[in-house]
Amino acid sequence: MPSTIKVEIKRQATPDAASTTEKFEVPYRPNMNITSLLGEIALNPTTISGQATTPISYDSNCLEEICGSCAMLINGKARMACSALVDKLRTGDEPITLAPLSKFPVVRDLAVDRSVLFQNLKAVKAWVPIDGTYDLGAGPRQIPQIQEQRYPLSNCISCTICMEVCPQFNDSTNFVGAATIAQVKLFNMDPAGSVLKEERLRALAGDGGIQECGFAQNCVEACPKQLPLTEAISDMSRDVIVQGVKDLFTR
Amino acid sequence: MATTAPPAPSSAPPLRGVQPLRAGQGNSFLWRKLHSLSGIVPIGAFLIEHIVSNFETINGPLAYAQQVKFLNSLPLVRVLEWAFIFIPLGFHALYGVFIAFRGRANVNVYPWAGNWMYISQRITGLIAFAYIIQHVWRQRFSGVSLPEHPGAAFHKVQVELSNPWMLAIYVIAMVATTWHFAYGIWLFAAKWGITPGDKARKRFGYVCAAFGTALCIMGLVSIYGIVGPKYQNAPEDVMPEQPAGIVLPAPNTPPPNSTNPDPSVLQK
Repeated sequence: MPSTIKVEIKRQATPDAASTTEKFEVPYRPNMNITSLLGEIALNPTTISGQATTPISYDSNCLEEICGSCAMLINGKARMACSALVDKLRTGDEPITLAPLSKFPVVRDLAVDRSVLFQNLKAVKAWVPIDGTYDLGAGPRQIPQIQEQRYPLSNCISCTICMEVCPQFNDSTNFVGAATIAQVKLFNMDPAGSVLKEERLRALAGDGGIQECGFAQNCVEACPKQLPLTEAISDMSRDVIVQGVKDLFTR
Repeated sequence: MATTAPPAPSSAPPLRGVQPLRAGQGNSFLWRKLHSLSGIVPIGAFLIEHIVSNFETINGPLAYAQQVKFLNSLPLVRVLEWAFIFIPLGFHALYGVFIAFRGRANVNVYPWAGNWMYISQRITGLIAFAYIIQHVWRQRFSGVSLPEHPGAAFHKVQVELSNPWMLAIYVIAMVATTWHFAYGIWLFAAKWGITPGDKARKRFGYVCAAFGTALCIMGLVSIYGIVGPKYQNAPEDVMPEQPAGIVLPAPNTPPPNSTNPDPSVLQK
């Protein structure tokens, strides 16, 4: 077993700079993940040819697949760096390749700007409106059956992998993406959040909305938290259609 | 008094790349749903009718001619043809091409079953589009006009399919079109929220696959009915002309006391 790991990283110094590829060779330790590999490079930022360089920029926080910040292209596929284990990624002496997510503007190196997801969540009001000028008291009771349906959807970590792998999520459709649609279902099923249900459904019928889904189902395959994304899209599609028909005849 | 204008309220700088949802704006939802619905009704319904009608070719030229005559004698048939076939088909095709070229297929990176079906739906749609243009032009709008000459239908198709390249095109298009329709039904159920659950979608997938296969086999059998050995060299026309204002066929034998006892040569 080789005592070092080769890594090829697509780098970019600024949002407008041209991208370059740098190769590194880092000492192997058992049970490494991609974030610890990037940490190893930061300890000694020298390329394979001995040239001194800067440490790699990337987003990460929790290191246990719960914050959603370290999504990147690992060997070409969108994954969380923290849960991508080096021992499972290595195939012979082939280098591991790292690149930023391809559908989001690069900030620097592997760090990308994913604020489009935040904008989308705001556009569909993915929250429970409980703010008031006085104490509104206890919320309505949640029955366990609804809770059980909602819980898997609440696991979304906003990593944007579902959007990265979606063939319909691109700058031509400007599709909203599966994560936001799943959050609409989550908050529409909330006994207190459902007060905004109609507004959320109308928002999803806008340009770039739920209709752009092509049902390639990559989102549900790639989701690191196994959210039932296709089920949410199907359910919300029906609700948006019903809302549209209702609005047509009653508004 | 302030001498300079206050700074504009700090709004987020315009995003690069994929833009956020335009909540509640635009009509693309309506067009997209019309596209989806038009694929089932009326286009899908017509495809079933077309393949079932063509299945009459296995009963020979006269049976096929009678089927063509029956369809062309439906009331308001030209209105039906434009309102339920040509216009919806044209819309479905053009909007479908628009949809297909806005997607960024990535099956090379993520070779999953659903992703293969995603690209297959676009490829089969484009095959069907190219095929249908030539098919409608060559069989409906050029050559002998079948609404007035239903008896010529079998011969017209047989001549067309005597070219092995054209035969290959028909077979490929039959597979592509029925594939597109069968997966289209599945997609319709998934995207209109009829089959949201994983199990429901899987079960309905088998139903659509069986249905599509049956439709495809029927289509291929009717092609075999045309090119197979049983009805080789079919007569050019097996029925008298059927003009729009058709009345009883003129009698072949002169009525009693006719002043014109010798019938026209055309009636013999």
